Amino acid sequence: MVWGSIIAWYLFLAGVSAGAYCTAVWVGWKFPQAVTIQRTGYYLAPPLLAAGLLLLVIDAEAGLFHPWRFLYLFTNVPGSMMTDGTYIISIFMLITLYQAYLTFQGKKAPGWMTGVGLLFAFGTAAYTGLLLGVVKAVPLWNTSILPVLFTVSALSTGIAMTVLLATLTDQNACSQLISLKKIHFGLMILEGLLIFIMVYITSSANETAFQSVMSLLTGEWSLWFWIGLIVVGLLIPLLLEGLELFHSRSLQVTPAGVEATASGTGSSPFALTIATEGFVLIGGYLLRFLLLAAGTFVTLF
Amino acid sequence: MARYGMLIDTTKCIECFSCRVACQMQNGLPPEESFIKFYGQEEGTYPHVSYYTVPVQCQHCENPPCVANCPTGASYQTEEGVVLVNEEKCISCKYCMVSCPYQARVVSEKTGVVEKCRFCIEEVRQGKEPICVTTCVGNARIFGDLDDPNSEIVRAIAKKKAKPLRPDLGTKPKIFYVR
Repeated sequence: MVWGSIIAWYLFLAGVSAGAYCTAVWVGWKFPQAVTIQRTGYYLAPPLLAAGLLLLVIDAEAGLFHPWRFLYLFTNVPGSMMTDGTYIISIFMLITLYQAYLTFQGKKAPGWMTGVGLLFAFGTAAYTGLLLGVVKAVPLWNTSILPVLFTVSALSTGIAMTVLLATLTDQNACSQLISLKKIHFGLMILEGLLIFIMVYITSSANETAFQSVMSLLTGEWSLWFWIGLIVVGLLIPLLLEGLELFHSRSLQVTPAGVEATASGTGSSPFALTIATEGFVLIGGYLLRFLLLAAGTFVTLF
Repeated sequence: MARYGMLIDTTKCIECFSCRVACQMQNGLPPEESFIKFYGQEEGTYPHVSYYTVPVQCQHCENPPCVANCPTGASYQTEEGVVLVNEEKCISCKYCMVSCPYQARVVSEKTGVVEKCRFCIEEVRQGKEPICVTTCVGNARIFGDLDDPNSEIVRAIAKKKAKPLRPDLGTKPKIFYVR
């Protein structure tokens, strides 16, 4: 593995950061009164991205010992996908920092800035997939589904991280956000579908791609793939969130939102939320790690 | 301007690893780092089997994905078509390493910089040949100018029908193999 777990963490954190930002923006539009989750999202975006970038710097040891070399990332234009990504992520980093500062001040960013922020949030999420997607030497990665899959996963993990931390600070922060849960549910369905499509199409690309896919489905990484990514990362959260959504239909809706927490009888909504979102995050990391791990080079003969 | 390439005749290679050791000496590499890898290939079905080995190093592609993907401009191509790494610009993001289908690049443990075969360009510019060529006991390697129709390498490629590895990948490698 040329790129190991450090890079997987970076891809994951950049995605969560972009997703958390989108969550904050969307909740701000849809539920202006749900302040906790907006604040959480805006506060989460910059440190998560910064942590990811820090990991990148640590992994790039030649740059770590000669920090000025990182400036070449900005001068090599028009450059590689990574150069473009450096610009996208840098701009997104600045926007998230500024909006976190505004949130701290209790102010709202102007609409145009939020719009640009959203654009660069999607750019950041998609870029983590494009970075791998353009690598022809590794057939497993070399697919246009990857940026889409990583974007969907970024939104899903971003919602999860924001809901998780908002719930930890305020148990009822997310109890009224049924439509956010609906979107989250939809994203997870979509992610499962995209994984299925990717595996299906990629395995037919060439022999190396087929072997890579098989190492995920039946080989070296199969336990992590099925138990970790599919069951823990997707199926269990879908089940728990599905139950919650199902129960929410029988609740009374008042002008202030939903009256009670939307949870099954006898189960603590708090524990349920923590488990659901925690599992989604585990799945998000595993998705990236497994793709890096199972990606093998083309054969030479 | 010359356009350098190499021919490697695997039918003459005895898998002695002299080229790898000489290359390590030339480039001051520690024992665990090398710019040449060997792929042993088995062919045929019992009892009619054969074995040959294919030394693989940087193919100095005319269309190098490592150069295209390098985010800092550290990887570049000289006028002679040789792919080099400017170690002053390398941050070791390793994007070139995942981009190279020939897996020809290694990270230097000492500096963190990504390195690889340079076709011994400093020596070549002084009129010498790469050390792997001069050291090969079986004369399995020929180095020369691909643009010179009378050069030994161009004639040998034509005569021995030498072909690059995985030309279908579109990187236009400049090492030609006789297999």
